[in-house]
Formats: sequence, C-alpha cells, structure tokens
Amino acid sequence: MKTKQFLILVTFVALFAGCATAPSTELISARSAYQQASEGPAGQLAPAELHKAHEALVLAEESFKKDPDSYKTKDLAYVAQRKSENAGALGAMAVDKASKDKANADFQKKQTELVKQGKQDLIDSEKQGKQDLSDSEKRTAAAQAELDKRAAVQATKDKADADFQRQQAAVQANKDKADADFQKKQTEIVQQGKQDLIDSEKRTAEALTALAAIAAVKEEERGLVVTLSGSVLFRSGKSALLSSAQVKLDQVANALLSVRARNLIVEGHTDSQGSESYNQGLSQRRAEAVRDYLVQRGYPSDRIQARGKGEGNPIADNASPEGRANNRRVEIIIERMQTSNQ
Amino acid sequence: MRHISKIRIMVLAVAVVAIAIAAGCKSAPLRTEASTSGIRAAEEVGAAKVPQASLHLQLAREELELAKGLDAKGEKDQAASMLLRAEADAELAIALSHGDAERLEAEKAMAQVRQLRKDNP
Repeated sequence: MKTKQFLILVTFVALFAGCATAPSTELISARSAYQQASEGPAGQLAPAELHKAHEALVLAEESFKKDPDSYKTKDLAYVAQRKSENAGALGAMAVDKASKDKANADFQKKQTELVKQGKQDLIDSEKQGKQDLSDSEKRTAAAQAELDKRAAVQATKDKADADFQRQQAAVQANKDKADADFQKKQTEIVQQGKQDLIDSEKRTAEALTALAAIAAVKEEERGLVVTLSGSVLFRSGKSALLSSAQVKLDQVANALLSVRARNLIVEGHTDSQGSESYNQGLSQRRAEAVRDYLVQRGYPSDRIQARGKGEGNPIADNASPEGRANNRRVEIIIERMQTSNQ
Repeated sequence: MRHISKIRIMVLAVAVVAIAIAAGCKSAPLRTEASTSGIRAAEEVGAAKVPQASLHLQLAREELELAKGLDAKGEKDQAASMLLRAEADAELAIALSHGDAERLEAEKAMAQVRQLRKDNP
C-alpha cells in the first residue's frame, strides 16, 4: 500500500519535474533508499520505521516543490534517506532476529531430542547394564558353583585317598597279620607235622613190633609186607575166615589201626594146585574177606584194596607140601608213607 | 485616579510581555538534546566498533558540530535543520549496531545448530 502511494507520489513529482527544476542528489538518493527499503523485509518486519521514512520523504518532496534548491529540502531529503536506510536496517535485523530465533529454536529442539535420546540411551544403558550385571552374576554364580563342585570333588578325592590310604594300611596290616599268622600256622603245622611224623613213626614202629610178634614182616620196595599163612586163616579151598583166624586178624587189625593213615593192599595167593582161574577167584575172595574184616574192625575202607594174585607169585616150591603151604598166604602190604604233613 | 492606575498597569504588562517575546525570539537556544542523546546512545551500543555504524556516528558528530557552528553564526534555522541530519545519522548508527549484533548472534546460533547436527547426526 505504501509502495503504491510512493509510486503515485513519484509519478506526480515526475510530472511536475518535467516542467520544473531537477531534483537534488539527496532527494534522488532518498527516493532510491525508500524504494529499496519498501521492497525489502522492512515492509512486513519494520512497518513503523518504513512509515516514518515515508513521511520524511513526503516532507522532502513538499519542500522540494516549494524550494527545490534550499538547504531545507536537501536536509529533509537526507533525513528521508537515512530513515529509509534505518527502516531497511531494522528489517534486515528483524530477519536476522527471526533466523536467530529459528536457529535457537532448532538448537533447543535438537538439544531436547538429544537429551531425550540421551535419557533413552541412559535407560537402555542401565537396562543393558542391569542385564550385563545379571549375566555377570549368573556367570559368577556358575563359576562359584563350578569351584564348589571342584572343591567337593577334591574333598571327595582327598577323602577317598585318605580312605584308600587307611584301607591300604589296614590291608597291609591284615596282610602282615595274615603273613604272621600264616608263618605261625605254618610253623605250627610244620611242628605238628614233625610231631605227627614222629608219632606216626613211633606208632609204626610199635605196630611193626606188634605185627612181628604175630606175623612175618618184611620190608620190601613196595612197602612193608605182613604175611599171614593161608592155613591159619582159611580152610582148604574156602574163603570164609576161621574163628581162630579172627583172633589173629584182630591182633593184626589193632596194629594196623594205629597206622590207619597208610594205604593197605590185601593180596591173596594160592599154591599151584587146581586150575589157575579157580586159584585166581579163590585168592580174590580170600583177599576180600580179609579186607572186609579189617574194614569191619574200623580201618578206613577207602584206604584198603583187595587183590587176588592167584598162583602167579609163589614164594616157595609148589612141589613140596611145605612149599605149597607157604605159597598159600595172604599179604597185607602197608604202602610207604607219602611225604605229607598228615 | 484609580482608572489611571489600571491603564498604567495594563500598559506595563503589555510592555513586559512584548519585551519577553522579543528577547525569546532573539536568544532561543539550539535544541541539541535529541542529537546529543542519539550520538551517546550510538556510542553506548558500540557503533564505533561496527564499520558502517561508525561512519554514521562520525557523520552525526560532524553534523552536530556544524549545527552548533551555524547556530553560533546566527543561522538558527539552518542549524536546526542540520541537527535533523545528526539525529538521523545517530539513529541509523544505532540501528546498524543493533543489526550487526543481531546478525552476529544469528550466525552464531546457526553455527551452533550446524555443529550440533554435525556432532549428533
């Protein structure tokens, strides 16, 4: 609106100027300055100052109309120019102020965003920190549990080692005791064996003495042989023991029972009269009869055998009656004592 | 007698007023307060440190001195007119000083924003 008024004024003045004096440099500058100011931001941002500039310019123009060359016209034009420049400066300042306000607002906004983001980051960081702390605590707890577990394992191992040591010591002690007992027992057994052997030998000697008094006793490679005459024990051609023979056998049995630890072989022998098979059977039956009697008297059955030898092992000539009588016999072979502790 | 006395008083009053008017017209002092205060204000806002404002401050000072010189010569109208120039230049110096400060502050604020955005993309 002011620009329009100004243009009308300028046109009006120009029409006048055509038939009047040319305007001064000050007035031309004032017009230009006002135009520049009115076209700038001052129109909107510094309207009061621009209005003052307009009034100053109007005064200058009026003065110019009255007295174009006067100092007053020049001074008024100068003042109008300065007021126009002042309006322009204030307009520019308003623009700068708006820019500053906008920048400050942007700064505040950005700062607020940063603070907000910072808070959020802080919250996230605290959250992450808590999570990290929780994880760390879990790891620490796990590590502690592992340490406790290892300590427990170590304690168990130590206890097991200690138990093992104790057990080993106990085993060793038991072993030592067992060895000592074994040594002692072995010594006792040896002593007992020796004593048994001595006793056995003594009993054997006594038995031999007793047997020698009732029968022929002979030391042979197969053992001690006690020979009983067949005529004393059996009737001719019979295998049943005579009652008188039982008395004899009782004496023999008593002697043998003192050495019952020995194995006995009862062998039956005949003369050469009669068939060989008959003699074989007869000798077998007679040997068994003697064996059975000895068993009956208490000699262990598993330590006594009966063997019929028939006429095959004569000890005398079968041609003479005495020889045949000697060949009819029962031999009780007392085997040699085996080397043992029994 | 009493009537004559009133006339004398009235004549005396008219004479006193006329003398006063005549004396006032002849010795009215130059009103430099506006221009002087304008120059002082321009100085206080730092116009001397702003190149363009400094120019107008200097012009205002010179115009004030010219006005005083004209006044001293009895060119009172011209002196008063010159004071208008001084006032206008002082006023412009103030506006330019403020404008420069405002511009610097705006540039600083925008630089801050740019830096902030650069530092925090």
